[in-house]
Amino acid sequence: MTAPAPQDKGATTSGQDKTKAAASAPRIGVFVCHCGSNIAGVVDCGKVREAAEKLPGVVVAKENKYTCSDLGQEEIIKAIKEHGIERVVVASCSPRLHEPTFRKCVQQAGLNPYLLHMVNIREQCSWVHSHEKDRATGKASDLIRMGVSKASRLEPLEAREVPVEPTSLVIGGGVAGIQAALDLGNMGFKVYLVESQPSIGGKMAQLDKTFPTGDCAICILAPKMVELSRHPNITLLSYSEVEEVKGYIGNYDVKVRRKARYVHEGKCIGCGACADACPVKVKNEFDLGFGQRKAVYVPFPQAVPLKYTIDKENCLYFKTGKCLLCVKACSNQAIDHKMQDEILNLKIGTIIVATGYDSYVPKKNGVYRYWEFDNVITALELERLVNASGPTGGHLIRPSDQKTPKRVAFIQCVGSRNKKLGIEYCSRVCCMYAIKNAQIIKEHEPDTHIAVYYNDIRAFGKGFEELYHRIREEYKVEFIRGRPAKLSQDPQTKSIKIRAEETLLGKITERVFDLVVLSTGLRPAEGSIKIGKVLSLTTSPDGFFAEAHPKLRPVDTAMDGIFIAGCAQGPKDIPDSVAQAKAAASSAAAPMFARKVSIEPLTASVNEDLCVGCGLCTELCPYGSPELVVSEKGGMKAHIIEALCHGCGTCAASCPQKAIITRQFTDEQISCEIEAALSTTDSQNGKHAGGKKKSTAEV
Amino acid sequence: MSEVEKTFIGGLKEKLVEDKVIDESELDPNFAKEIQKYGGKDVMTCLQCGNCTGVCPISLKIDYKTRSIVKFCQFGLKKYTLGTRWVCATCYRCYEHCPADLNPAEVMIALRHIAVREGIIPPFVKTAVTNLVKYGQSVKPDPEIEKIRKELGLKRVHSEDPEFASVIREIQVLVHASKYDKLIGIQEEVKL
Repeated sequence: MTAPAPQDKGATTSGQDKTKAAASAPRIGVFVCHCGSNIAGVVDCGKVREAAEKLPGVVVAKENKYTCSDLGQEEIIKAIKEHGIERVVVASCSPRLHEPTFRKCVQQAGLNPYLLHMVNIREQCSWVHSHEKDRATGKASDLIRMGVSKASRLEPLEAREVPVEPTSLVIGGGVAGIQAALDLGNMGFKVYLVESQPSIGGKMAQLDKTFPTGDCAICILAPKMVELSRHPNITLLSYSEVEEVKGYIGNYDVKVRRKARYVHEGKCIGCGACADACPVKVKNEFDLGFGQRKAVYVPFPQAVPLKYTIDKENCLYFKTGKCLLCVKACSNQAIDHKMQDEILNLKIGTIIVATGYDSYVPKKNGVYRYWEFDNVITALELERLVNASGPTGGHLIRPSDQKTPKRVAFIQCVGSRNKKLGIEYCSRVCCMYAIKNAQIIKEHEPDTHIAVYYNDIRAFGKGFEELYHRIREEYKVEFIRGRPAKLSQDPQTKSIKIRAEETLLGKITERVFDLVVLSTGLRPAEGSIKIGKVLSLTTSPDGFFAEAHPKLRPVDTAMDGIFIAGCAQGPKDIPDSVAQAKAAASSAAAPMFARKVSIEPLTASVNEDLCVGCGLCTELCPYGSPELVVSEKGGMKAHIIEALCHGCGTCAASCPQKAIITRQFTDEQISCEIEAALSTTDSQNGKHAGGKKKSTAEV
Repeated sequence: MSEVEKTFIGGLKEKLVEDKVIDESELDPNFAKEIQKYGGKDVMTCLQCGNCTGVCPISLKIDYKTRSIVKFCQFGLKKYTLGTRWVCATCYRCYEHCPADLNPAEVMIALRHIAVREGIIPPFVKTAVTNLVKYGQSVKPDPEIEKIRKELGLKRVHSEDPEFASVIREIQVLVHASKYDKLIGIQEEVKL
């Protein structure tokens, strides 16, 4: 530090500290990266390096075309050894990208890896100031000056290791959850699969066929469901909910509520005698209200586990205290109306969240009149209507008169790509499922006339475009490019008239259809929102769970040890869900195979002498890391659970006693950076502006 | 072509039929920005779904497609758009339905601003403004209307009211002060 601010406000950086630092000033090496032309195309790296060379403490400053390359790393190692460098400053890209790379490199040369500081002159300089080359060069110099100043105050830190429990928890029993659980089970880990519904299977179990191959959905899913239920390593907890998750990677304490089924799972053999006896009939949610079920039920014939569940809301016994016909019918005494919810405590190492999606439900006053017109249905309803095990046995009917429709229209992008609804994303599957459903209808009833009202057809996957072409050419399905403007119903026939502009023709058309299917988009599941809160997961702007990095860490979350798979992360089709589930399973397996995980030391730490135990940090921490414990010295003191701490600094910034510091982001280090930013040069022209010193007090 | 179409969208169709090939030099790359400057949202957000055309009440009567005008704007085909702007009733129904949250009605208003600034002013606008500065209303008072009003027991229209003269004068001052008179060539009327 040549010029610390004259009026130093921060009491922590006393004059004494400064002299001490100056006396034993560490030897600093600066490495300026060109990043090809990413940085050098805007920033004059030569000039920046020259400026860096003159900074106090800097022993050597070099520039490289690609510092992250073998050659570039070699140069850092060489410089450390030749010049006896004690602190390394790399001015290149975001530390999110290459901090681990350079830490390893520094470690190879024998330095503590935490004596590295990265200055971001790409994302935060050259990329954003590409039109102002001179000023960008000045800013890069400023950033490096700040970085060098901070680097002089860096302390060596040691990473810690914690043991990992070789047990995994999979939340959600759809196709993604099933696949993840099976993979982990096959690797030899103990797995608990928690599903909120009475049966696993998720949305895929409701579908008729799958695109583009036309495989029957339940036929390919049911064997996996059965395999899972019989797997020796997997414990299936259906009709259960995750209530509480505490702890950190490798050491989670999970509370699972097993909702009372009022049927003993151990005794029920799934014979269905109880359902035959039950006098109560209600709409079956699994068939979206088209079919019926009893108050004691399995949602669908292939359900796993094949155990009956009593629906407390509709059961006569719970309503009136009488009936108990099911109890009489059951030969195994499996039914127990006095059953209570149970809480299960599990010790878990890693968690996979596969909570899936909810289908978009059209608005009550929407233009497509879903709630008013009987013959306007959603795509998921159509799936049940054409499903062989559905309420109509696979015969497509229209709801108003149970007749087979002769003219069917599909309307795409309902609840997708709509800024007005705040749903800007594309749901990715609607184009293909509409095409697939058109094919199914044509196969059932070849004379049906089908029109698809679309905005853009997105047939991007393997075999998708081929199916799209076959539907157009072989099945003569009509594709109309235009978003329908108005739907009206004929009061007699209940047929729907669609008014739309056929944009490729430039003409407004009005056509009548017997049945209109809305291709509804995918929304984050309601259960996901609840689980997200329990696990403190972050979401992206679309409301789905955010991955740690969109390209390089697609199944990881910001929370170590918690992974995401399937539609919980964003809309996707079955192959993608399965692939992601397999990826999440192998990512979750890595720390469990190692049985230990190393934890970054960049965490908060508490000075117990200063802490008064106010507990503000415990309330503010987004990760639940600080806790109040009884100290040896007496009284309540904050204690940081390091494995949970992400080093965000919220606690340190809020602590009224300044008792908490965030390692590598201490007040002293940040003050140093600020002083350096304000002190020496003028970023406009790079000249030393001797008389322009500003005091921190002024700022 | 009906009378209404001739008045409101005349010029556009003839031009479209004439131009077999559109030369790149006819495109104005800054047209979208210009529209934004005059209060329209970014026309580039339009996905061309055609919902606006479908709900447009004008499109029921004449061959007028909101979507294609927005497309002309995106493309920078300035001169095609300048004959179409007056037909929009600014009922905002297109805005209500637009999934891209664009407001085509405001685009039409912006197009009017641009057209007037370029000196393309249809005769009926001049007539309407002349009436405004003369009588304080855009429709010329008609003895027939006065007769009907009297029969119905309604008051005379304000413009016939001597007390209204000061209000008309005020309108004239405003029109003159904003140089609107010069823009559409009615300085004489305002001088009074």
